[in-house]
Amino acid sequence: MASETLLARITDYSSRPDPYPLYAELREAGPVVRQADGSYLVGTYHEIAALLHDPRMSVDPRTRGAEAQQLPFLRLDDPEHHRLRTLAMRPFGPPHTPHRVDGMREEIDRITRELLDSLGAGERIDLVDDFAYPLPVTVICRLLGVPREDEPLFRAWSDALVAAADVRPGSDTTETDKAGEQAKMEMGGYLVNLAEQRRGKPSDDMLSAFVNEPDPALRLSREELAETAILLLIAGHETTVNLITNGVLTLLRRPDQLDLLRRRPDLLPRAVEELLRFEPPVHMRERIPRADVDVAGTTLPEGASVVLVLASGNRDPKRFDEPDRFDPTRPDNQHFGFGSGIHLCYGGPLARIEAYSALGALLPRLGTARLVEDPPPYRQNAMLRGPRHLPLHL
Amino acid sequence: MRTVVDLTRCQGYAQCVFLAPGVFELHGEEGLLYATAVPEDQEDRVRQAAAACPVQAILLGEEVSIGAR
Repeated sequence: MASETLLARITDYSSRPDPYPLYAELREAGPVVRQADGSYLVGTYHEIAALLHDPRMSVDPRTRGAEAQQLPFLRLDDPEHHRLRTLAMRPFGPPHTPHRVDGMREEIDRITRELLDSLGAGERIDLVDDFAYPLPVTVICRLLGVPREDEPLFRAWSDALVAAADVRPGSDTTETDKAGEQAKMEMGGYLVNLAEQRRGKPSDDMLSAFVNEPDPALRLSREELAETAILLLIAGHETTVNLITNGVLTLLRRPDQLDLLRRRPDLLPRAVEELLRFEPPVHMRERIPRADVDVAGTTLPEGASVVLVLASGNRDPKRFDEPDRFDPTRPDNQHFGFGSGIHLCYGGPLARIEAYSALGALLPRLGTARLVEDPPPYRQNAMLRGPRHLPLHL
Repeated sequence: MRTVVDLTRCQGYAQCVFLAPGVFELHGEEGLLYATAVPEDQEDRVRQAAAACPVQAILLGEEVSIGAR
């Protein structure tokens, strides 16, 4: 049956520019679609929402027998997830530090301006390498307290870790897994070392806050600190780049919507939410049932790999009117751009502020901008989907 | 501008507190406190908070009903 090969076809690199027809085929095939390798795909909005909120659905790879010593909170279930996420949240957001992200707005706007000023006018640029990548990297480095000039170092580790975490049905993952483990060890050592340098001499960054926490009950262990710092550094620069790039691509493909936003910048926050629905930076997440779980008449067996196709749920016509239309005025836009439930994206508010800043500053310059190639070349990764380059004439 | 949060919908995701900490505040881990009258210099932030709410619980208007005052 053709639907049994959907995950293989979705993850095939040739589908990267436009996976949406495959998502439509997935939703047509039913809410739960078994794959030839025994995994399951879920692509309809209401079923994805129910599973994201179901405590029987684990994110921990050990639930299906994988070996792992230490995991980041993204791959842990409650109560351990809650403990670590709450500790990681203390120096980042409410209730403990509600002003941190809002307080970065001016600095983010300054970084945006500096990057745009260096672009010049009437020139051919690569929006990814020249703007959409360096912006979030600079911001996350500043936030964590990581030297910006070490980017080539952690970019290589991040590439290896992100490749190891991708969905790759049917392929031999031994080598990528090994490279991922190696990168994790080196990156963890690097970040813990940076944090240790700030013990007793804190500066205004999150590594300092973690390592100088006075209450022993609220302190991360060395291993927990390594996992958390790796997660935040990677998530902080592998995803926002897609949001900004997808935003520019989407607007340049739709001059009427670009024109609307140029006339009504007050719509920008809603346009960013619509982007998160229409072209989300993260397309899929995996869950593993801790027990047999019935969904819409199908049983997801304990220990199976269940892939929730968030980007397909975002285009489900049973939830969104005209789902394939990009509409910055869309009402009631409860998308899965940052997931939903207890694992809702930790850094979402920072990503939003970066997107407001980046797109807000670019809007006046996009009126005369032209795409050099459409579709642009995409990154290999199917889960974190976005253009590798976006050549433009500005 | 005035704002009202539908607290029967609110799930405590706190996205509004990140984006507009001068208007929305967490009491404990999930309880939400907020100012119904939005100061002028906070209006952009509150528009962002309303758009970002994962459960779309934040209502905005020039005037909300008398009961919300």
